[in-house]
Amino acid sequence: MKIFFSFLLIIFLAFSGYHLSFRNFRLPLFARKFYLTGTEFLFLGLLLGPQFLNILDDNTFRGLEPLSALLLGWIGLLFGFQFEISKLRRFPFEFFIAAILEGAMTFLFVFFGVILFYKSGLLNTNLSGPTILIVALTLSAAAACTAQTGVVLLASEKVAKHRQTVKILRYISSIDGLFAIVIFGVTIMLRPEIYSGSPLVNWLGWTTFISLSACAGLLMLYILFFTQRREESELTLVVIGMVMFTSGASSVLNMSPLFTNFFIGFCLVNLTREKEKIFNILVTIEKPVYLLLLVFLGRSWQLSSAWIIFLAAIYCIHRAAGKITGGFIITRLGPALKLQPSNLGFGLLEQGGLALAILFDYHQNFPGDITAQVVSLALLAIIYNEFLSPNFLNRLLKDD
Amino acid sequence: MPRKIQTRDSLTVYFLILILITVFALWFKSLEIESNRQQAGITILSLGIVLLAAYVFSRILKITKLPLITGYIFAGIIAGPYITGFLSVDDVERFRLVDDLALSFIAFTAGGALHLQSLKKKSRVILFNVALLTIVVFAIVYLFIISTGRYFDFINTLSSTNITVFAILLGVVSVARSPSSAIAIISECRASGPFTETILGVTVVMDILVIIFFTFAMTIGKIVINGSEAVYYTALTGLSLEILASILIGIVLGKGISIYIDKAGHDLPLFLLFLAFGVTRTSLWISDFTETHFNIFLHLEPLLICMSTGFTVQNFGSGGKVFMESLDRMALPIYVLFFSLAGASLNIESLIICWPLALSLVFVRAGSIFLATWTAGTISRDPSIHKNNAWMAYLTQAGVAIGLAQLAQRQFPEIGSYLTTVVLAVISINQVVGPITFKAALNIVKETGRD
Repeated sequence: MKIFFSFLLIIFLAFSGYHLSFRNFRLPLFARKFYLTGTEFLFLGLLLGPQFLNILDDNTFRGLEPLSALLLGWIGLLFGFQFEISKLRRFPFEFFIAAILEGAMTFLFVFFGVILFYKSGLLNTNLSGPTILIVALTLSAAAACTAQTGVVLLASEKVAKHRQTVKILRYISSIDGLFAIVIFGVTIMLRPEIYSGSPLVNWLGWTTFISLSACAGLLMLYILFFTQRREESELTLVVIGMVMFTSGASSVLNMSPLFTNFFIGFCLVNLTREKEKIFNILVTIEKPVYLLLLVFLGRSWQLSSAWIIFLAAIYCIHRAAGKITGGFIITRLGPALKLQPSNLGFGLLEQGGLALAILFDYHQNFPGDITAQVVSLALLAIIYNEFLSPNFLNRLLKDD
Repeated sequence: MPRKIQTRDSLTVYFLILILITVFALWFKSLEIESNRQQAGITILSLGIVLLAAYVFSRILKITKLPLITGYIFAGIIAGPYITGFLSVDDVERFRLVDDLALSFIAFTAGGALHLQSLKKKSRVILFNVALLTIVVFAIVYLFIISTGRYFDFINTLSSTNITVFAILLGVVSVARSPSSAIAIISECRASGPFTETILGVTVVMDILVIIFFTFAMTIGKIVINGSEAVYYTALTGLSLEILASILIGIVLGKGISIYIDKAGHDLPLFLLFLAFGVTRTSLWISDFTETHFNIFLHLEPLLICMSTGFTVQNFGSGGKVFMESLDRMALPIYVLFFSLAGASLNIESLIICWPLALSLVFVRAGSIFLATWTAGTISRDPSIHKNNAWMAYLTQAGVAIGLAQLAQRQFPEIGSYLTTVVLAVISINQVVGPITFKAALNIVKETGRD
């Protein structure tokens, strides 16, 4: 039966590829957005998972763990490649500060919200302090990230009319995950489960030293690879090998493949001549990687409790509050930003890509019931955002 | 087609890379693995290390003009269980999925590389080569074992009946060659021309025929050992149906790919990768399913399906060029992983056990291939440079031969382990020597660097 998993994936991927290739492909706006963001693959994962067909059962899923690490690594590397300093410098520095600040604001809003919620005792979970902390950090890290889908799907006339606003929305949504990924990466690296029992300061120092040494060694290795010009096929091989190597090393060293690859990507994009070619290779399979990630996350979705629907709504509102407040504050920062509408946060509600990767990385590192519930909650919130964000974005552009 | 870039290889850089990779490999192997996640990490890390190390190793060996796949194979041997032990036998077994996927992908290329027009023109030459290679190689290897078997310590304990069956099966296995290696070498050398087309045609046709010959050989072996005169008509009919079904499925898939290329064409390399994976896994599932539920052993041949798919796309649709370009884009990582894992799975232990017999067989097989190809070339009036050097292109052997030997082991437990050990040892030599001689042959006939 397991073979049908691959078979179904083939059909779905082929189907997606087929449809997306048609430029005149038209569906109603809601369905089109639903389709283009790949949300249907979450449901495919749910269908294949233990709750329905059980084709992707625990054993099969465990067998696919190397692929999971590879997917996370690929997304991390791709995200790191967005931080090319020379390109970032084309925008005013205050934009960068604004993006980080907005991400951090949302992060803190959600973080304290989650902590307060658990401390209030409204939910009788009996979770330990460190677990609550990790849940809060993960949910807030996922909340801080903004996806670009909504802005990308805007009609060209709207883009032309609101050029400046669209530009800053694109910029912020590609940068604001930085704060989240760093905090999340450090969380994975220093999580209590791998605490060796030695004095805390020594352990922290040793773990940090090992992680930094590994990253430095890997970086040196890859830079050596890219000192010579290579043909496209050779570069593809090196990039695949690099992601495998980094992701595998991260998993073995109890680090986050997402974060480590992000770090490597950030360094490489600023240090190698071949950055454009590497980026093109990474982008070539971005969509299938993303779709597989959705399938894997969908598989982990648990709809056992109706409470999750309400909790997800609360999480979604909290996140929106963080984004809107963050948006409001950053439009007071500098001359270029003061020209933007104060409700800029309305355009930053879309959640996807990196947030999903963070959730999946969390799922892989902390298996357990609470993890499944947290992931389910966040996935529902992402779907809520799919419904809400286009309306808020339109409102922002109307007011602009 | 991807733009060809003049690359300048620096040995110092490659050695530094190899040193760094080795340091990492030693470090990670020394770590204690406690969780499933770390285990999964080790798996993917090992693949990454093998991929990068094999690539670097092949670039170093390139300076000595050796084929790249020899570099991949050597890297695999070094990383494998018998030299450094970085990859254990279990690790290699775990990566079988990569093997399956790569083989299907390579079979797409093999099918796509066959042009109907050219095959029609070369049908006579291919026919002579196939017929003579089959008859001469089988006959000489058979006679060699029958006449000298008792002088080799490794098999002199076998009864004369068992020696006969051993000789028959070994004769047929010697006919098998490695289309994957042939495709990889042709692709690496960017070779094309009449010589290359003949080699490719013969290799692909023989890959199909050897399965049929092997079934005959098994039938005869059963008769010799059991004294039964029952000819396994059912088995032969079943085999014919399996081959026919595999070809038909390939044609349907090929037409499907052609339609996909015409109508969509998006992400074709990935689509093909998933298709290759799907074909392999589905074929295995069908075999299991029919055997479990209907007690019928329907073994669809994934290689044949993929070859037939590639052939259909190339010759009966408009997307042949796009198809081959897409395969080419994914080819290098696949070849590197496939051949380095093949190197890691080469059984050096078998070679140590029976090296005199294995080495003799390698020479006898090479000699018989020379006789067959020279005769075929003379009959077909090939240029002397072709007929004198064609034998060098037919030495490589790989997966098919191992598969056949393992099949025989199940059917003939009395001689199975002897056969598998000798075949593994012979393949270990041929898989290292074959690519080198093949590349040399392509250089001699001046058909490299054309594509």
